[in-house]
Amino acid sequence: MKIHITTFRVRNLMLIAAGALLLNGCASLGVKPWQRDVLAREDMQLNAEPLTHAINDHMYFSKEASSGGRGFAGGGCGCN
Amino acid sequence: MQLKPRGTGAKGGAAADARLARRRLIAASCALLGATAARAQEATNAASDSISGEWNVDSALAYYHEGAGRIKAIEPIVNFSKTFGDGRTFSGQVVFDSLSGSTPNGALPSIQPQTFASPSGASLSASPVTYTTSSGTLATESARIYTVNPGQQPMDPNYHDQRLAVSANWGLPLSRVLNASYGGKLSYERDFVSVSANAGIARDFFEKNTTLSFQINNEFDKLNPIGGAPVPASDYALFQKTGGKTKDGVGMMFGLTQVMNRRWLTEVNFSLDRFHGYLNDPYKILSIISPSGGTTGYLYEKRPSSRTRKSVYWENRAAWGRLSMDLSMRYMVDSWRVHSDTAALSVRWWNPDRDRFLEPNVRWYRQSAADFYTPWIDSTGSRYISYASADARLGAFHAFTYGLKYGAKITDSQDDTTSEFSVRVDYYRQTPDHQLVGPGSLQGLDLYPGLQAILVQIGYKF
Repeated sequence: MKIHITTFRVRNLMLIAAGALLLNGCASLGVKPWQRDVLAREDMQLNAEPLTHAINDHMYFSKEASSGGRGFAGGGCGCN
Repeated sequence: MQLKPRGTGAKGGAAADARLARRRLIAASCALLGATAARAQEATNAASDSISGEWNVDSALAYYHEGAGRIKAIEPIVNFSKTFGDGRTFSGQVVFDSLSGSTPNGALPSIQPQTFASPSGASLSASPVTYTTSSGTLATESARIYTVNPGQQPMDPNYHDQRLAVSANWGLPLSRVLNASYGGKLSYERDFVSVSANAGIARDFFEKNTTLSFQINNEFDKLNPIGGAPVPASDYALFQKTGGKTKDGVGMMFGLTQVMNRRWLTEVNFSLDRFHGYLNDPYKILSIISPSGGTTGYLYEKRPSSRTRKSVYWENRAAWGRLSMDLSMRYMVDSWRVHSDTAALSVRWWNPDRDRFLEPNVRWYRQSAADFYTPWIDSTGSRYISYASADARLGAFHAFTYGLKYGAKITDSQDDTTSEFSVRVDYYRQTPDHQLVGPGSLQGLDLYPGLQAILVQIGYKF
């Protein structure tokens, strides 16, 4: 039991440390506000094509065992 | 409805250049003011176009056609979005599907003709059926059966359905760096109703270069299968069916969006969801096969009553000059032991005037089989079935999608507006993996036909 608790704590500490490192890394990335010209382009938006995504999600949801990732994996369709 | 200002175009000279500069300035200002890339702030992608409170309308008509006489579908879809003066956003979507054609019922081909009942049928006999109605009177109907020729994939030839889905999402800025979102979706088919609600929160860090988000979703589905919901693992010939069934699901998603540099934006989502209830496909059966390859009967499929899925999704957007790229990957695993990998890449190439583009795309997908997937049931084995499904969508396969999209911005000098027309054609091919060889007479038959489909999408947004 102790081993399990220790393993659990070590795993949590590693996750917290990884998260802290990730956030610290994020702080050194990015751009200044006046450097967002390319990021402001329509084709750089993560949801630039909501209809294409919706149509694709519906097609793949009805033909494959996986769905979601970009958004929720819910059904909303009786096809699978 | 007010249309948005005209963007760039091949014509227009200095005036067009001025408009282009103004438009870019507005877009950049919008990014500064809060159009960060968080998924939770979906509507902000359109904010540069609706900064002055105009409605954006995005519409498409999709036509989907599977090979071998299988499903055909036509799907009109329209999306409305608006950013209000106080920063609130609204996005609504309406979808209608109409499907028809043949759909596999899960049974294997045979060297003998096979007779099946349509979902609404209550007998495998060709004779008219007499039954007692809800008012207690006797009624007679002609048999609703279909016969599959030897060697052919058993498919219900009379499949047809319509779906209407409506969704709405609101975004609400709580502070300069904190945004809330909430929404809902209603989907209706004659044998299926789904209602879901979602809520989320997103927080920006480091001059809006980093966004952390968290979303939850709750879904409730009501199934009213045509002819009733079959008792799982029951004998197909006995037509043991019950009334409507339900299933419900809860999902949550953590997201991290990061501006990597001036040309690269990345997003990672961790998702977890759990569905519980009647998770069977009420129209899918399995063949019971003898050692000689003969079909001795059929059972309705039986899936576990819960399913937990976990996925990691990573998307990257990058742009260089007239090129932009979207690369995404996903890994998913679920409690049915399905593992899947997905990778998708699209590259958009603009012409020098930035009013036309070509966008090739490719997608690769691979999944392992669910642990209860079996193409058939051995007639010499135990008749007790814990879980079993022959649904090819739960089998092992890989799939490729190849596609090409063309888009053109259309300017109207009369009313100073712009719109965009696009057409996309995708080809999808699914190939089964790890195929078991059928016993006896099944060895010469194509038990795993795979799937090929074409998707054509015509879009118009203004």
